[in-house]
Amino acid sequence: MIDWYFSHIVLIQSTLTTLLLALSVQVPLRAGVFSFAGVGCYGIGGYIAAIGMVHYGLSTATAILLAAVAGGVVAYTLGLLIQRLTGLYLAMATVAFTLIISVLVVNGGDLTGGAAGLFGALGMLDTGHLLAVAAVVVAGLTFTEIGPLGRRVEAVREDPELAAAMGIDVARYRRATFAVSGVLGGLSGSMTVLLRSTVTPDDINFHLVVLALTIIIVGGSRSWIGALVGTVIFVWMPEVLAFVGEWEDVVYGVLVAAAAVYLPGGVTGAAVDGYRKYRRKRREAADTPPDGPSPHPAAAGVGGDS
Amino acid sequence: MAQHILNAVALGSVYLVFALGMALAWSTIGILNFAHGATFMFSAFTAHVVTQHVAMPMPAVVLVAVAAGALIATLTQVLAFGPIMRKATDHRSAELRILIGGIGVAAIPLAIAERVTASAPFGFRGSTYQAQVFEVLGLRMTTTVLVIVVAGIGIGVGVWRWLATSRQGLALRAIGVDSETASLMGVDRSTLALGTMATSGALAGLAGALLTFQLGAISPASGDQLLIKAFAIVVLGGLGSMGGVIVGAFVLAGAETFVLAMNQGTWVDAVSFGLIFVVLLLRPQGLFGRKEVRRT
Repeated sequence: MIDWYFSHIVLIQSTLTTLLLALSVQVPLRAGVFSFAGVGCYGIGGYIAAIGMVHYGLSTATAILLAAVAGGVVAYTLGLLIQRLTGLYLAMATVAFTLIISVLVVNGGDLTGGAAGLFGALGMLDTGHLLAVAAVVVAGLTFTEIGPLGRRVEAVREDPELAAAMGIDVARYRRATFAVSGVLGGLSGSMTVLLRSTVTPDDINFHLVVLALTIIIVGGSRSWIGALVGTVIFVWMPEVLAFVGEWEDVVYGVLVAAAAVYLPGGVTGAAVDGYRKYRRKRREAADTPPDGPSPHPAAAGVGGDS
Repeated sequence: MAQHILNAVALGSVYLVFALGMALAWSTIGILNFAHGATFMFSAFTAHVVTQHVAMPMPAVVLVAVAAGALIATLTQVLAFGPIMRKATDHRSAELRILIGGIGVAAIPLAIAERVTASAPFGFRGSTYQAQVFEVLGLRMTTTVLVIVVAGIGIGVGVWRWLATSRQGLALRAIGVDSETASLMGVDRSTLALGTMATSGALAGLAGALLTFQLGAISPASGDQLLIKAFAIVVLGGLGSMGGVIVGAFVLAGAETFVLAMNQGTWVDAVSFGLIFVVLLLRPQGLFGRKEVRRT
């Protein structure tokens, strides 16, 4: 167990930081806001942490905190600017925002290290710290998924007009998701950089946007569990797919396309649907009086097959 | 100065052919194909592989790339977008799933091309075509540039007029405005969708062949960059306006050439990203777009 942990420590740590990145896209999406600003804030956070450590000698905790706050502020401001856009237009505006950040840091001179990036920003982080941050974030997000708040978020996503008619301030919820996604992106970016000790402009690319999106679509976009499932799938897939070797990327593409076509709710959505169907079958089987040769356990067994 | 303008026009013509394919599918059948860049790259790659075995003249190479592009886009439609459009319950989830499906599909040709070429740029060295250099009014021109500009502007204007005047163009625009009413009027959506995707893929293939002839070689990753640029062009011109795409392509190419000419090479990419952002902020419907960008 201990051996396994130490030989997989990089994967375990990147699972936790990637989870935060995926959540930074999932939180707005859950409120019907198709925004990738969190990925841009991942870049901002990474650079702020690296600049803070390398140029100003900040402590690890201060650097991460600063990165999270900066991410939140920038994303909230962006949200104010582009809140009237929706759908694909909003998505592409935030993708453009993310990619502009990478151009900015290439041209940042000594402060950002230009195209070569910054080196030597090794923070004092271990898996325990990452787990603690992830646990706090997940606990906080759980509150937005259950109870009255969860239902309000769902209303904002499914029917903004209805939500507004019920007295929910839709615009405020949307702006709040921008801020939350910025904080999560900032956390994820700063912790990733402080674990790796380097950051380059190439780290903030279109592929990162694609990764975050595919994680939550394949995993499931309705709760943090979906983000976790998707993160585990995509971070660990290279390890598991070692047997297909060089064809790994082809398998990746096929899986993503197949998930888009056949699993609209992602893996967790399909699992939840399957479980509900199973429960319904069981209940129906239990409700109908066992007439003659159809005993109860057999009926439940039949239900479980579907 | 005049040389820069000529370069901008050549670059703009390639952008135009590529963006036109994307805009055609997006503004009519509502498919924003994220595999369009990969289709572009893989068509050129297919032509590259063919020229390695058979020495071919330029028109044959272009034809191979066009056919490959049409085939890839048709397969994408049949295997991914078609099933999604049939299954999706509402417009927004269909939009999202088509986006993801395109991203997934795009990863497959990219992975194959990167594996075969080891991510190195590839060109048409096996082709018998040799570019002729000549001077017109003191400008250095090549036959490649001439072909690109004529093809780009010809196809741009052709598609624009065809969509505006032909019967099928009318049907396609009708789907773009209101697909339910259009199908009540007897428009066969799925057949037209297939034809549109094939045309769109053929345009991507043409753009791939032309750009490879122009630059000598392209890298497997070049499709993604072009995708974002095409998006900037469509947003600038306005979704639903083919004339807007023509203007957008040349404006973007002009702006990028200008930034390059000012020796600010590292800022070139910021032009398209900034353009997307500023246009969406100030004029979300673009320069010539229909006035109904969905807002809440």
